[in-house]
Amino acid sequence: MAYKKMVAATLVAISVLASACGNAGNAGNAGGSNMDAKAASANAANEGTVSSTETKEQVTLKFYSYNLAIASQIPGTEKLIKEFEEAHPNIKIDAIPIPSTDINAKVQADIVAGSAPDVAQLTFDGLDFAVNNFGAKPLEDIVPADEFQSNFEGFSPNGMKLGQLNGKTYGLPFTFSTPVLFYNAKLFEEAGLDPAAPPATWEQVKQYGLQIAEKTGQTGAHVGGATGGDWIIQALIGSNGGGVLSEDRKTIKFGEPEAIGAIEMWQDLIKSGANSKLNDGEAIEAFTQGKIGMLLFTSALQSSFLAASEAGGWELKTAKMPAFGDKPTTPVNSGSALFILTDDKAKQQAAWEFLKFSTSERGYTIITSEIGYLPLRPAIVDDPNYLKDWVEANPLVKPNLEQLESLQPWVSYPGSNWKQIETILNDSVSKAIVSDGDVASIMKDAQERAQALIQ
Amino acid sequence: MSYEAVGMARHAAEAKPKSKERKPFLPRLGRIKPYMYLLPALISIGFWIYKPLLQTFELSVYQWNLLPTSPKQFVGIKNFANLFGLPEMGIALWNTLIYTLGVIPFSLILPLVIAIATDNIGRKASGFYRALIFLPMIMAPVAVSSVWRWIMHPTNGILNKTLTDWFHLSEPIRFFTDERWAIWSITFITGWKLIGFSTLIFSAALTGINKEYIEAAKIDRASRFQIIWHIILPLLSPTILFMAMMSTLFASEWSFSYINVLTQGGPFNTTTNIYYLLWTYGFQSFNIGASSAAAVVFFLGFGVLAWLFMKLSRKLSFFDN
Amino acid sequence: MEKAIGRKTGIYSASAVKHASLIALALLAVFPLYWMVVTSLKPESEVFTSSLIPLHLTFENYVQAWNAVPMDRMLANSMVVAVIQTVMQLITSILAAYAFTRWEFRGSNLIYGLIALTWLVPFQVIMIPNYVAISGFGWRDHLAGLIVPNIASAFAVLQLYNAFKSYPKTLIEAARLDGASDWGVLWRTIMPNLKAPVASIGILLFITSWNDYFWPLLVTTKLENTTIQKGLQMFISSDGNMWGALMAATTIASLPVLIIYLLLQRQIIDSFVKGGLK
Repeated sequence: MAYKKMVAATLVAISVLASACGNAGNAGNAGGSNMDAKAASANAANEGTVSSTETKEQVTLKFYSYNLAIASQIPGTEKLIKEFEEAHPNIKIDAIPIPSTDINAKVQADIVAGSAPDVAQLTFDGLDFAVNNFGAKPLEDIVPADEFQSNFEGFSPNGMKLGQLNGKTYGLPFTFSTPVLFYNAKLFEEAGLDPAAPPATWEQVKQYGLQIAEKTGQTGAHVGGATGGDWIIQALIGSNGGGVLSEDRKTIKFGEPEAIGAIEMWQDLIKSGANSKLNDGEAIEAFTQGKIGMLLFTSALQSSFLAASEAGGWELKTAKMPAFGDKPTTPVNSGSALFILTDDKAKQQAAWEFLKFSTSERGYTIITSEIGYLPLRPAIVDDPNYLKDWVEANPLVKPNLEQLESLQPWVSYPGSNWKQIETILNDSVSKAIVSDGDVASIMKDAQERAQALIQ
Repeated sequence: MSYEAVGMARHAAEAKPKSKERKPFLPRLGRIKPYMYLLPALISIGFWIYKPLLQTFELSVYQWNLLPTSPKQFVGIKNFANLFGLPEMGIALWNTLIYTLGVIPFSLILPLVIAIATDNIGRKASGFYRALIFLPMIMAPVAVSSVWRWIMHPTNGILNKTLTDWFHLSEPIRFFTDERWAIWSITFITGWKLIGFSTLIFSAALTGINKEYIEAAKIDRASRFQIIWHIILPLLSPTILFMAMMSTLFASEWSFSYINVLTQGGPFNTTTNIYYLLWTYGFQSFNIGASSAAAVVFFLGFGVLAWLFMKLSRKLSFFDN
Repeated sequence: MEKAIGRKTGIYSASAVKHASLIALALLAVFPLYWMVVTSLKPESEVFTSSLIPLHLTFENYVQAWNAVPMDRMLANSMVVAVIQTVMQLITSILAAYAFTRWEFRGSNLIYGLIALTWLVPFQVIMIPNYVAISGFGWRDHLAGLIVPNIASAFAVLQLYNAFKSYPKTLIEAARLDGASDWGVLWRTIMPNLKAPVASIGILLFITSWNDYFWPLLVTTKLENTTIQKGLQMFISSDGNMWGALMAATTIASLPVLIIYLLLQRQIIDSFVKGGLK
C-alpha cells in the first residue's frame, strides 16, 4: 500500500511539475510562437479557401531538415518555412529536425519503413545514392520546360551543377557553404601580424600560425574537415591540382601524387605546431572563445562566430581559402540540396513550390542573412530589395561570395558504398595528418580499399 | 540485462517438480489453462525476440540494403566468409577485448577489495553509503554520457582543469577525441556506472556467508590474509564467477550507449566494438547481410561463452553450502 | 592497506580506513551528479568557473533548455511509455509466474528455459527485423511502436516467479477449498500478499523503461513523438556546447528517476541486488 501511494504521489508530483513548467515555458518562447504562427497560417488557409474562387487541395509536405537540428539556425529556417506557408495557404510544411550526419541514413531507414519524407535536405555527397536508391525525382520531370527555364534565370550556373547527375537536376542547392578562412584580428595584432593582410597561401598560414602560437601562447591555426564529410579534403586535393574520382566516375584517385602532396602539407602544418591537434568540434569551441588564430571551415559558422566575437571582445575576419603556391584554389561546397522524393503528383507540385520559394530571391535572402549560407542568385547581393544592405553591414561574407566563381562540386561516390568510401578517405586523412607516418603509403592504401568498394 | 542472467543461472539447476499433480476439476480446460496464462508473455517474447532472432539468421545469407526497391539477393555463406576480412572487424574485436578486460577492475577487483575491507561497518553507516554508491546504476546512459562529456571536456571540463592545476599538464587531455584515451574514457564511464552495484553485490554475498568458518580460522591463528585467501574468496567464488560472467558477456553492450553518444566509434574506429559495428552496418551503411552475419556469429560466440561459465559455476557451486 | 594498519593499531584506525574508502567511492559516484546540478544552476558567466557552488543561483538554463526542445511533450511521452510498459509487463509476468507456480504441465521447463534464455539475445542482434516489423505496422513515430515490443519482460517473469514460489501452497489450497477460482486465487489470495515484491519489480521496470534509449532512437523521428532520452541526445548534438542548458536538460531527464530513488532507495537497491543475486 505504502509503495503504491508513494509511487502515485510521485507521478502526480512530476506531472504537475511538468505541466506547470510547460505553461511557464510556453509564454514567449520561439517554439511557442512558432506554434501560434502555424495555427495562424492554418486559419489563414481556411479563410483563403473560402474567399478564393478556385479551391486548392490542402497538401502537407513532410520535410527533413538538418538546419532545424542546429540551434543557431532554427529561427531562420522556421522563418523561411513560415513565410512560405503564408504565401501558400494550401501547403503545410511538416518540418522535422534530423542532425546532418544522420540525415541520409535516416531517409533510407524511413524509405524502408514506408514513411519517407516528401522533401529532404540531403548532403551532396549522397547525391548519387539518392538518385539511384531513394528515387529522387528530377525537376525536369516535374516542372514544364519553360517554367524551369524562366525560374532558373539568374541562378548561379556553378551552383546549378551541384545537384545534377547524368544531365538532370535532382537536387536543388539549398543551404550551402564554402570553406573560408576565419581569423581572429585581435590575435593577429598581438602576434605582430597585419589583420588586413590575411594569409593567401598555405606557406603563409604555417608561418603566421607559428608566429601566433609563439607570441600569444594560443593555437595558431586549425584546418577543419578531416572528419565528418570529405568536402574540405576534396577542396585541398583539388587546389593542389588533383581529384578524388576520375571523370568517368570509375577510378578512385586519392592515392595520386597531387592528393598526397595536399595531405602532406596538412601533416606538416600540424607537425610544425602551427595547426592544433584538436578535433573540429573542440576547435570550433576554442575559436569562439578566442583561443585559435585562424580556422578554415564552413562559412555557415559565420553568424555564431560573429556573435561569439562580439561577446568576447575580439574582431572576426574572413579570407578566401588559401592556395598551394600559385595554383588556383578550388573551393568545394559543403551543405545540402533539396530533393523531392514523393511519388504523389500533387505533392510533387507542392514540393516544387517549396523548392522554388526556398531558392527564390527572397528565399536566399533569408538563407544568407538569417541561416548563414550562400545565395545562389548572385544578383540579389547588389539588390537593395534583398541583400544589398545586409552585405554592406556584413562584409565578412564577401570572400565566401567570391569563391562562388571558382566553386567545384562536392563529388559523390557511386554505388551503395559511397559512405564507406568517404569514411575511408576521412579516416585515412585524419590519421595521416596527426601521425609522423608516410602520407603516401596511407593514401595509397586508402585508394586501394576504396577502389574495391566501387561497383 | 544484468538481473535476467541470474534467474537463468539459478534455475538451470532447479526446475524440479514441486507438488503432486492435482486432479483438475474440468480435465480438458485444466490442461490448457497454464498455457492460457502464459500466452500473453509467450506471444510477446516469441514475436519480438525469437522470431526476429530467426529472421536475423535468415538475413545473414542475403545481400540487401533494406530498401524495398532493391532485391534481396541470396549469397549463401559469402557474408560469413567476408566477415573477418573487413578491416573494421579486427579493430572491433580487439576493442571488445579491451572493454571486457578494462571493465573487470570496476566490476570485480575494486568492488571485491572494497566489500571485504568494509565488511561489518555497522548498519546505519552502511545504509548511507549504499544509497550513495548505488546512484550511478539508476542513471540513464544518455544522461551519464552528457554529464561525463562535460566533466571530461578538454578545455572547460573540471577534470582537465583540476589535472592541469595539480600536474601542470602541457596540454589538456582530450578524453574522447585522442585515440590513445578515448577507449579508456569509455571504459571508465562504463565501469563507473557499475562499481557501486558490484560492491553491493559482493557485500550482500559477504553478509550471507557463514561467519563460523572465519571464527574457527581466527581461533587457529590464521592471518587476515590467510582468512581472505582460503576462506572468504572461496566462499564468494560463485558470486565472483557470476560477476565475471556478467562482465564478460555484457561489458561491450554496456559501453554501447556511451560510444554512440560520445564518440560514435571514433576517433579512427578506436572505440568501435562489435555491437557498435553491428549498429553501423545495420543503420549507417545498411549492409544488412554483413550486420546479420556478424550478429549470428557473435550471438553464437557469446552463447558458448555463457555455457562455459554456467558449467564452471555448477562445478564451483558446492562452496555455496 | 586495511590489513597493514587494521591489525596492529586497533579498531579506530581500521574503521577510519573503512570509512575513508567508502567516502571516496561515494564521492566518485555522487560528484558527477552534483556537478550536473550545480552547473545547471550557474549563470552563463559562471559556467566555466570551477566554483563548487553556484554563486549566483539562476534557473535561466532550465528555461533555455525547456524552450530549445519540446521538453514537456517528451517528458509526457516518456511517462506514458514507461507507465504503460511497466503495467503491461507486470500483468503479463504475473500471469506467467502464476502458471509456473500453480500447475505442472507439459513443456513447462522448456518454456521457462526459453523465457530465461532471452537474456542472451542482445538488442543489436534483433534490431533489424524488429525495425522492419514496426515499420510494417506503421508504428514508426508512434507511441505504440515504443510500447508494444516491450509488453513482456523475461526479467519480470523470472523475478515474479521467485516471489510466487515463496507463497505458501497450503494457503492456495485453502482458498480453493473455499471455492475460489484459479483467477480468484491469483488476484484475491496471492496478489494482496505480494504487493511489496511486485511494487519493487515494477519500480525497476519503470526505471529501465524510462532510461531506454536505443529503441526510441530507432523508431522515432519527430521530437514531439519521442522520449526524453532521445530528446536529450538530440540536445547534445544540436546545443552540445551550451553547457549550462545541457546540464539543465540532463537534470530534467534524470529527475523522475532520481525522485523515485530518493523516496524508495532501500527497496530499489534491495531489488537490484536480489535481482542480481540470491
